[in-house]
Amino acid sequence: MAQDLTEISGLARGKGRPRVAETAAPSLVDLLNLIRADDPTTRHELERKSDLGRAVVSDRLTMLADLGLIDESELGTATGGRAPRLVRLAAKQGRVLVATLDQTALGVGVADLSGKLLTEHHEAFELTAPPQALAERLITLLRWSLDRQASPAGLWGISLSVPGTVPGAVGDFLSRTPAVLPAWEGFTLVEMLTRTFGAPVWMRSSVDTMTMGELHGGAGQGLGSMLFIKVGRRIGAGIVSEGRLFRGAQGATGLIGALPVHQGDRSGTLDAMAGSDMILREGRLAAETGRSAFLADQLRRGGEISAIDVAQAAQMGDAACMEILTTSGRLIGQVVATLTNTLNPEVIVLSGAIMQTNDIILAAVREAVYGASHPLVTRDLRIIRSQMGSSAGLVGAARVGAELLFAPEFLKDWIMQGSPLKHPAFASFREALDMAPPPPALSPPPSRGAI
Amino acid sequence: MTISGLGPHGERAAPPERVTLLPEDRAAAKARAFRVAVVLHTLESDWARQQLSGIVGVLGDCATAVTRVIDCGFSPSEQVKALDDLLAQKPDAVISLPVANQEVAMAHARLAEAGIKLILLDNAPTGLLPGNHYGTLVSADNFGLGLIAAEGLSPHLPQGCQVGLLGYAADFFATNEREIAFSQWMQTRRPDVTICHEAFARIEEAAPKTEALLAVHPDLAGLFVVWDTPALHAAEVLMRSKKPIAMATVDLGEQVAIGLAQGAPFAVIAAQQPYLQGVAAAQTTILTLLNRLTPAWIALPGISVTRENVVESFQRIWRSPAPQSVLKAVGLIP
Repeated sequence: MAQDLTEISGLARGKGRPRVAETAAPSLVDLLNLIRADDPTTRHELERKSDLGRAVVSDRLTMLADLGLIDESELGTATGGRAPRLVRLAAKQGRVLVATLDQTALGVGVADLSGKLLTEHHEAFELTAPPQALAERLITLLRWSLDRQASPAGLWGISLSVPGTVPGAVGDFLSRTPAVLPAWEGFTLVEMLTRTFGAPVWMRSSVDTMTMGELHGGAGQGLGSMLFIKVGRRIGAGIVSEGRLFRGAQGATGLIGALPVHQGDRSGTLDAMAGSDMILREGRLAAETGRSAFLADQLRRGGEISAIDVAQAAQMGDAACMEILTTSGRLIGQVVATLTNTLNPEVIVLSGAIMQTNDIILAAVREAVYGASHPLVTRDLRIIRSQMGSSAGLVGAARVGAELLFAPEFLKDWIMQGSPLKHPAFASFREALDMAPPPPALSPPPSRGAI
Repeated sequence: MTISGLGPHGERAAPPERVTLLPEDRAAAKARAFRVAVVLHTLESDWARQQLSGIVGVLGDCATAVTRVIDCGFSPSEQVKALDDLLAQKPDAVISLPVANQEVAMAHARLAEAGIKLILLDNAPTGLLPGNHYGTLVSADNFGLGLIAAEGLSPHLPQGCQVGLLGYAADFFATNEREIAFSQWMQTRRPDVTICHEAFARIEEAAPKTEALLAVHPDLAGLFVVWDTPALHAAEVLMRSKKPIAMATVDLGEQVAIGLAQGAPFAVIAAQQPYLQGVAAAQTTILTLLNRLTPAWIALPGISVTRENVVESFQRIWRSPAPQSVLKAVGLIP
């Protein structure tokens, strides 16, 4: 059972001596993050890497074990003498809820404290629905997911992936909902989630989380540099340099969809000229004019046409749809070529629902990038399609959640209490929420276990 | 084809036509004489037998030998052992239905690391990725099956009633999807209905869990069970209790078809097409072995089966005549 060491330290304190919390917290933060970075490790390794003496390391590890943050139950491989005890983060103690909010789908999952995704679910959901409907569905699905993945210390955080830049998002948990979408003005999603689940909430753009997911669970594993391109209604880029996601000054990197591009005598932003809205619009036109036999047939049977249908028709050989996607791919490729020459990545990963459905955009991007890049840049360059689908956003959100929970600036203020839920600023935020007038009731309240 | 759900990684479904075999594919496969093993959760259900029949038939057409068919008895540890045994036998491909999530994920990943092609049925453990660890997931539109069950049960539910949902306690993609879809439909289309949740970990628990549900909620008006075998155990409990509770479930097993034809206790069945799913899985396996590109997720739509269409649905799904008792119950024979 985890103990709150602030009280223990307070009782043991002698006159004039600093609190244990004041002296031990920095070394506990350092040690815990060394353990996370090299999981599992040994006491000997920690002594070597931390520059702390054996007695101090031993004392701090005892404290971390008492707090329930590490696990030393497993033995490593002996190299002569006794087998060393392995030191691990007690990842299974707590849970992080994750969710991806895309234009046409909602994804939810549960991760452990190491950021490993344990379960996931995706379903169709139009983000144009009223924000209250989004909040209700999200809370219902998150509650159901958490019920099925219970842990001793319960929920420690919620990490969301949203379809837009999150202004000013730094390490701290959110205490209000950023207006990521125009319809979110006055929307209190963060407050609702905090009230419902009693855990801190973080939010990152879907390009950021998907890049993190690809870096840690997909094609970017073990690589130092990667360019991640998400193709949807908006087109964005995630940049990985020296093994880390580059976030710029305001977290507003990779907004390539706003760049102007030209196609014949037409010009506009990359979003407008190559995004899924263009694919849908041109696909509908091809169906109505009969240029696409595949889509015209679908229309005649009373079916709705989506951008995904256009992509699937292209993959099945429909010439008009292939042309639409090739145009999109070439325009994206022109912009990506500029980035490629600037950044010299090891791999370019293309992602998004449209990309999952067909290879035509991939082929057009490859052609454009290889045709417009310096030979040194393309010598070992791989341009591939993501295999992770929407899981990239959930895996990345889980990773973001785990990193922010244990970020030194946040961790130092809760480590002595053994739980981020006791972080002073978070406790104050919850108190303020409890004092505030209750929000409008979600209707109808789902029964326990219902989804 | 309308598919309501998304794949395990949020993928949009591809239709089974995407993996149609051309004569040259069959010829190429015959020349290579592949060996394939099949690992199923059980061999005891009608669903498993039909799925296997579809798989074996298509592989036979391609001169591909089915070298092992393994029944894991729903046990994750049995499945891990079976998959590790297959590593030594090194078939060219394994068609597997993962019986759990995290418990069996690494054992499936080891097959991929050993160069054995993997095709999944019904469930993709979290962390396994198409293209890296497995070729394709072939399944029913499980989300759509849950919607069919809810929509079909709804007319039998009075205003403001309680409905039981007997789910599967294992973290399993297919049953999770059915459960989520059933609840979502009820919450949006029948907000007057209250869903009472219970879950079983083993099929034998279905009856006691139904009894427990009834003890806490004696006024249940309906019950959804996430597949037919446990639904039959639940149906026995309901019949013993002599309460008029309408049931919905997934898969048109023989006993369930009889119950449906007789008008009780089953009101609607959301049926999969296991034979065609088996055909699609085998076709995908051949294309994967020939290094052709296959979609990440192939889904087949479900069929809504009621008393009115039970005979034709039975024939369509099982490729055999409906049982005499079904024909009698619907008045087609004296």
